Amino acid sequence: MALWALFIPLIIIAVIVVIILLVWVGYYNRFVVLSNRIKNSLSQIDVQLKKRADLVPNLVETVKGYAKHEAKIMKEVSDARKMLVNANASGKMDSRIKAGDALQGALGRLFAIAENYPNLKANENFLQLQTELSSIEDKIAYARQAYNDSIMSFDNAIQVFPGNIFAGQKFKSQAGKYIQIPEAERAPVKVKF
Amino acid sequence: MVKKEKSKQEEKEKHIDFRDQISRNKTKSVFLLIFVFIVLIVLGYVIALAFQLAVFGLLIIATLFSIFYVWITYAFCDKIALASVGAKAADKIMHRSLYDAVENMSIASQLPMPRVFIMPGKQINAFATGKDPKSSVICVTEGCLEKLNKPELEGVIGHEMSHIANYDIRFVTITAVVVGAISIFSQMFLRSLWFGGGRSSNREGGNVIFLVIALVLAILAPIIVKLVQLAISRKREYVADAGAVEFTRYPPGLINALKKIEKDHEPLKVPGAVAPMFFSDTTKQRLAEMFQTHPSVEKRIKALGAM
Repeated sequence: MALWALFIPLIIIAVIVVIILLVWVGYYNRFVVLSNRIKNSLSQIDVQLKKRADLVPNLVETVKGYAKHEAKIMKEVSDARKMLVNANASGKMDSRIKAGDALQGALGRLFAIAENYPNLKANENFLQLQTELSSIEDKIAYARQAYNDSIMSFDNAIQVFPGNIFAGQKFKSQAGKYIQIPEAERAPVKVKF
Repeated sequence: MVKKEKSKQEEKEKHIDFRDQISRNKTKSVFLLIFVFIVLIVLGYVIALAFQLAVFGLLIIATLFSIFYVWITYAFCDKIALASVGAKAADKIMHRSLYDAVENMSIASQLPMPRVFIMPGKQINAFATGKDPKSSVICVTEGCLEKLNKPELEGVIGHEMSHIANYDIRFVTITAVVVGAISIFSQMFLRSLWFGGGRSSNREGGNVIFLVIALVLAILAPIIVKLVQLAISRKREYVADAGAVEFTRYPPGLINALKKIEKDHEPLKVPGAVAPMFFSDTTKQRLAEMFQTHPSVEKRIKALGAM
């Protein structure tokens, strides 16, 4: 009986140590998952940006057939695309986003000009590209939002008690490193042409 | 620029708001589930006291059997649900807007892309199923595609995506198991009273008190627990609505979809077992809220309006 009683404090300590270890492992894994989510959402944006860049030459070709005189806007779109491809190669996030926005703006102006060319507007290929590009535009907006969300949940997990106790230097140095991108203005109802 | 800054600020405030709402609803759901478990344990304990322990063992076997049964159902829930409503896989080109809406919500929620199905029916409705986010399915009615515009459809899909994100399908299944177990407990006890009546005279007086308590509990517990289950189900709907706003960042989309549902009087014929899975009440019958799986559309709109 006396011998048995001696083990009780030891067992209690062992249980406490195991619980702390389990909690620590749980938090560690959570931080890894959250930080992976940031990287994953970033690559989502890139996938969509690349898809858009790939469609542009096709669009320019189609528009050329109907609106030869609009050389200025065509050059603008091509330049913006070139800028995006270069930005993708250089790897800087903010320059990629900036180039993406520039291309989106140029495409918007191109579609506005296309309104003056009824034949172009009736072109099957053009219509399809237009739907495709507007759907990509939505996806980029949602991907940005997801990127910002994942940064916020990561930062929160690391800074809020009790997560901040378990976050080692490795994660603490990552918090606040990621910069949120301005969310794209989303029109309530998209006009369909 | 100033306007942009201001709207960003508003967006940020909204942000915290609906996140709060989600976590608050989650806590409430957990409390409700704990309550159901306590009822189960107390009921089992009192019945065991009223009878010999051998009966308790039998009850445990019955519970294990029902858990096994529900686990099998859960494992095949997507196939069963899709087959029972006659759903067909959506075509990526033909149903482009639907695919886009699901893909958008999958990007926003950072969940894997669910498989997309369409079921016959003019009513605006939808449901999600599947064991986990990886094997999830979203199914909408033809009425959804005909009557909803893009932001509305995204709102409805966002609601279903949120069910997937919150593991609601698993939660609902577990609740169904526990509630089912309680009703089996009660049934077995009440039936055994008829057969075991003769032997009770041999027992000590203490058992009679427990017998009475057990009798009252056996009659009341299934009813109370069923009401709690319905309350949980309604809470989960509010959570999913808040989640849809988190993904779309656009409450009017879901609000307008709900308004259209309110005006829509098309009936939708689905088997009773799958009815609680749907986006909104399939029958459109007017019951007291206590007995419904979904909160009323007005209440949902009001909650969304506050976000």
